[in-house]
Amino acid sequence: MGDSQYSFSLTTFSPSGKLVQIEHALTAVGSGQTSLGIKASNGVVIATEKKLPSILVDEASVQKIQILTPNIGVVYSGMGPDSRVLVRKSRKQAEQYHRLYKEPIPVTQLVRETAAVMQEFTQSGGVRPFGVSLLVAGYDDKGPQLYQVDPSGSYFSWKASAMGKNVSNAKTFLEKRYTDDMELDDAVHTAILTLKEGFEGQISGKNIEIGIISADKKFRVLTPSEIEDYLQEVE
Amino acid sequence: MSKVAIDMPPKGGFSFDLCKRNDMLVKNGLKMPSFLKTGTTIVGLIFQDGVILGADTRATEGPIVADKNCEKIHYIAPNIYCCGAGTAADTEAVTDMISSQLTLHRYHTGRESRVVTALSLLKSHLFNYQGHVSAALVLGGVDITGPHLHTIYPHGSTDTLPYATMGSGSLAAMAIFESKYREGLTRDEGVELVAEAIRSGIFNDLGSGSNVDICVLTKGHKEYLRNHETPNPRTYVSEKGYSFSKKTEILLTKITPLVEKIEIIEGGDAMEE
Repeated sequence: MGDSQYSFSLTTFSPSGKLVQIEHALTAVGSGQTSLGIKASNGVVIATEKKLPSILVDEASVQKIQILTPNIGVVYSGMGPDSRVLVRKSRKQAEQYHRLYKEPIPVTQLVRETAAVMQEFTQSGGVRPFGVSLLVAGYDDKGPQLYQVDPSGSYFSWKASAMGKNVSNAKTFLEKRYTDDMELDDAVHTAILTLKEGFEGQISGKNIEIGIISADKKFRVLTPSEIEDYLQEVE
Repeated sequence: MSKVAIDMPPKGGFSFDLCKRNDMLVKNGLKMPSFLKTGTTIVGLIFQDGVILGADTRATEGPIVADKNCEKIHYIAPNIYCCGAGTAADTEAVTDMISSQLTLHRYHTGRESRVVTALSLLKSHLFNYQGHVSAALVLGGVDITGPHLHTIYPHGSTDTLPYATMGSGSLAAMAIFESKYREGLTRDEGVELVAEAIRSGIFNDLGSGSNVDICVLTKGHKEYLRNHETPNPRTYVSEKGYSFSKKTEILLTKITPLVEKIEIIEGGDAMEE
């Protein structure tokens, strides 16, 4: 493959016009745990599998869904440590925006700035791209919003999206089930069912994580017992 | 590592580039603009369930009252508030900055902010600027370790006290505290004592005046009582209103119409391209 000669350097285009390192980063994302997001008419839900490497790991200490501002949350697929760096930078940018303009940062602005950081790392020397894709869920004056940001720095607004392993099945499932006038509770049920599709083993409140934001504009991660309640409703 | 250049603000510290030029201007007779000082009475005390902070609401610019109802109790964290005396811009900027840093810190740690954290951030910032940031603060809050009250001086030294006063009216307010403070005050007694101390500053110090602001902080709860007392209302407003006579006398009114100047060109062409 002619491309392989160009795969070592991030900042060199291959003859087919691709940056091979970014393709590899997307592969890293594709082998990460499944996560998905759904935008409802009155809120957004994001969810992810929380498969821990061993039963000895204290699952209460692991939190994949993070809050960026009181009304914006994020989930990732791919390399956890990379996502931590991005979360830290995004939080700082949101806070700087707030200090300067004294208003909460709009979701699009935060996504744009995070994407700019990710793009930086595809055009510098001596660095590698981030091995994560992020799903940013927020609720601001423009209503509920869901954005996906890729390692290349491109971002899109989605009504519903999935990433990681099993992404094609999950997306097909979401395409069939999504309706424009869905409410937040329906969206949570759909999210759980989508995760269940590709789930190996028994799904429970301890091995998935769900974050929601509704019209009250307060992002929060559901507790395991709240997830159990939703799981019961789905059964 | 070569990073793409982003607009970054210059890193820390004052830039003293213009000092020589300012000195030259002053020598040549320029009057330097003065800044807004708060010449204040700010107080805090610890009562049985938490902390009560109090402040007056007058901001002065030399002998003039610049703001009759300014807010001197600043937000630092949901459980921490700070009263500021000194240069108004300095107190606002410094409390805003530390509040921002604490928000980020809360996200990273997942815990409620502690008063000592705010204290350390404030004092190290003020020390770095060697007293040029003219902010004298009374910092109070309730965190997981209990209620705390501190005073911070512009050079960066701090005190930890059960009751504290700062500002130009601090002696008047401290006189009230020293005679009436005791441990284990209830909320209402504490609020009344703080209001009395601020009133003492308002009436006995020229740099303080107008209204009393109070903030009550207890475990998990805060009450911001803006203008809790207004002992200086404007009592008389003339019903007739005020007519301000014109200072200039009109001797003569002459209207000169502007005449249009039209040139008529004989045999001119219609508008050409």
